[in-house]
Amino acid sequence: MPLTRHRFALALCLVVLGSVGLATARSFTLATAAQPDALDPHRTSATSSFQVTKSLYDTLVEPDQDGVIVPSLAESWSFSPDGLTLSFVVRDGVRFHDGSVLTANDVAASVRRLASAGSPKADEFEMVVDVSAPDERTLVLTLSRPAPALLESLASGWGAVLPEALIDAGHDFGNRPMGSGPFVMREWVRDSFVRLTSNPDYFRGAPEVDEVVIRFVADPAVQWQGLRAGAFDVAMDVASVDWPSVRADDRFVLEQGPSGLALVAALNNRRPYLDDVRVRRALNLAVDAETVMEVAYGGGLTIGTFMEAGSPWLPESVEPYPYDPEASRELLRAAGVPEAWRLEMVLPQPYEPHVVAGQMIQDYLREVAVRVDVRVVEWGVWLGEVFRGAHDFDVTVIGHSGKLDASGRLSGYGHPEATYSGFDDPQVAAWIDRAGVIADAEERRELYALALARIHEEAPFIFLGTPFTTFVRAAHVNGFWVTPLLDTFDMREVVMD
Amino acid sequence: MLRLALTQVLSVLVAVVATLTVVFFAVRALPGDAAVILGGLETQTEQVEALRGELGLDLPLSVQYVRYWADLLRGDLGTSLRERRPVGEMLRERLWVTLSLAGLAFSLALVSGLTVGLLAGRRTGTTGDGVALGLTTVGLTLPEFWLGFLLILLFSVQLGWFPLIGLPVEGDLGVRLWHLILPAVTLAVPRAAQIARLARVRLLEEASADYVRTARSKGVSPRALTRHVAANALPGLLPLLALELGGLLTGTIVVEQVFGLPGLGSTLLGAIAARDYPVVQGVAVLAVLVYVLVNWLADVLQMLADPRLRYE
Repeated sequence: MPLTRHRFALALCLVVLGSVGLATARSFTLATAAQPDALDPHRTSATSSFQVTKSLYDTLVEPDQDGVIVPSLAESWSFSPDGLTLSFVVRDGVRFHDGSVLTANDVAASVRRLASAGSPKADEFEMVVDVSAPDERTLVLTLSRPAPALLESLASGWGAVLPEALIDAGHDFGNRPMGSGPFVMREWVRDSFVRLTSNPDYFRGAPEVDEVVIRFVADPAVQWQGLRAGAFDVAMDVASVDWPSVRADDRFVLEQGPSGLALVAALNNRRPYLDDVRVRRALNLAVDAETVMEVAYGGGLTIGTFMEAGSPWLPESVEPYPYDPEASRELLRAAGVPEAWRLEMVLPQPYEPHVVAGQMIQDYLREVAVRVDVRVVEWGVWLGEVFRGAHDFDVTVIGHSGKLDASGRLSGYGHPEATYSGFDDPQVAAWIDRAGVIADAEERRELYALALARIHEEAPFIFLGTPFTTFVRAAHVNGFWVTPLLDTFDMREVVMD
Repeated sequence: MLRLALTQVLSVLVAVVATLTVVFFAVRALPGDAAVILGGLETQTEQVEALRGELGLDLPLSVQYVRYWADLLRGDLGTSLRERRPVGEMLRERLWVTLSLAGLAFSLALVSGLTVGLLAGRRTGTTGDGVALGLTTVGLTLPEFWLGFLLILLFSVQLGWFPLIGLPVEGDLGVRLWHLILPAVTLAVPRAAQIARLARVRLLEEASADYVRTARSKGVSPRALTRHVAANALPGLLPLLALELGGLLTGTIVVEQVFGLPGLGSTLLGAIAARDYPVVQGVAVLAVLVYVLVNWLADVLQMLADPRLRYE
């Protein structure tokens, strides 16, 4: 049969069509246990929400892989010499997912919304007295006092920029997110999955993968089995009992990096005997934090004060408490702790590692003749009765998530009513309060170092450690990373071979 | 007859009002509220208070209760505190998942349970009967979360016959059905075992009745006899079936969790954890309706099957 021009064209079409069909959409699937409550970054405070909004929205600035603040929607920024004005130059030509152009007006509207009632983070912006956009690319924030942590706040998940027109229209961002981020929301089935597709107009260039599916899988065992069955490319919560199998299987890579968490067994400093610093130190000496980290959290670095290991804010002088049950017993005797003393430990049920850690601490304290009664409660009960409300606990185990600036972790500590621990130390409170309102970086560092050293001495917590952020990825997946300190998912550079 | 119907309607109404009232106050009696949970660890007390005001949680309980009934009587189930959208819309999205799961599981349980029960009941004392009894014991004792995980391991991970978890929201009916098979089997196993055991016992009871002895002595064929016995024995299963059907709703909570299905069970669990009161109440309304409907259906079926009830 002669190859006529028509037949040739037809054949060519078939080849082209065939190859299009073969180049199937590169889809990346991530399994994680925690799901977002709402995808409106100005109306949530949950890390699980920011883990998704990170892909949908952009912030003016963002932390890079080393945690250093770098430009994002803002090309540059500057503080005035008195620290009372912060100006940004907004990047040109960025578009929201609906095609509208992002200007300084959108940023201004977003900051106003973030600072107003209804925003969980409003207090971080209380010093912002005026927000203005003199032209399309300039944003000026006028402050009532120096705000050394403002940039860090804007670099966090809640600093997302939303379109002004939709803000004014009262758009439901929580259910129908609309930003300028690397991915566009396609489908969200609660309790099941979120499906995003790559944004071809993303200002840094479209992501490598065409589609991202975030699956909410509560059971860690199912996450691991799903990796093995090829259903997931990355799983965030594979249990440490399965890590040996992961390491033995060359189809998978176990990734571990430092997290921003400070894990503590918080002591209720208002309670009898726990209001005595000798007792609090004794409890620190009684617990082998290294073993607790190893067994309950799959490894990590121990800490000696209320700051994550490796933080630039940590004073060099502070070391973790040694494990010394003998010295602990001595201190308890000196403090006159009676034989019959019983501690009530309340543990948050959904967090299995905290429950395991609590039970280990119970055993360690028995060694120094301190009896602990454990009560495991549901998360809402923990938040309502331990963390807030009546603070009905003696000891509890919890992780405090990372913050880009030390103020995020420390503000309020030392004021007895401001924190659940009831830690009462006017000196620490004064240092921390001052560091929150001055601009001088060096002085702030010194103040926080003083405060952290004293928190070590005063031991309002049993300090445990900073666990590793651990996830398992299929060997053919590269470029997935977890934002330092914020623990959000960055999928812009994911490549699948 | 009319009086009977009226008392029935009245008792149903009382049950519905009582149930919804209990649910209303019970969820609010749990420590912590939606504002505290949305606030988490990272929100200052003033912002939590502001949120509480915005969500209407600072209103007196009595005001909230009156508003609830006023809205409900107008057919308004309220707005989710966590998702900030109408509860009715949320339930509509989820209902079909749970209904298809429960329907599939119930059919599986009914067919397999009755088959095993009738076969075992006809041949009591044989090896087959013993095996059936053993199997049903295992079926009854297996916890659903464990059975579900075993099925996933075998059929999804090892054999790859079924999808791991999840359920496509749209698309081909066959594909969706394929996703529902393992969850439905997980749900059906303990219920099938229950039905099989009861069907067997009912058959045995009925087989020792006087009329059976008489019929047998008159030389009625075993086949015909079984038909008569079954016809008398099976309507006695209807109340159990109604209970099982209602109980499926609680079973779906566990199974939807294990298989990651976006149904009412996961919605309810999430809503309780988040103290999303309107959603918990919305699911309660649905559950009450299902129970009432199923029990009414069982009554009607029983009347149809048993002429004596009709003329009383």
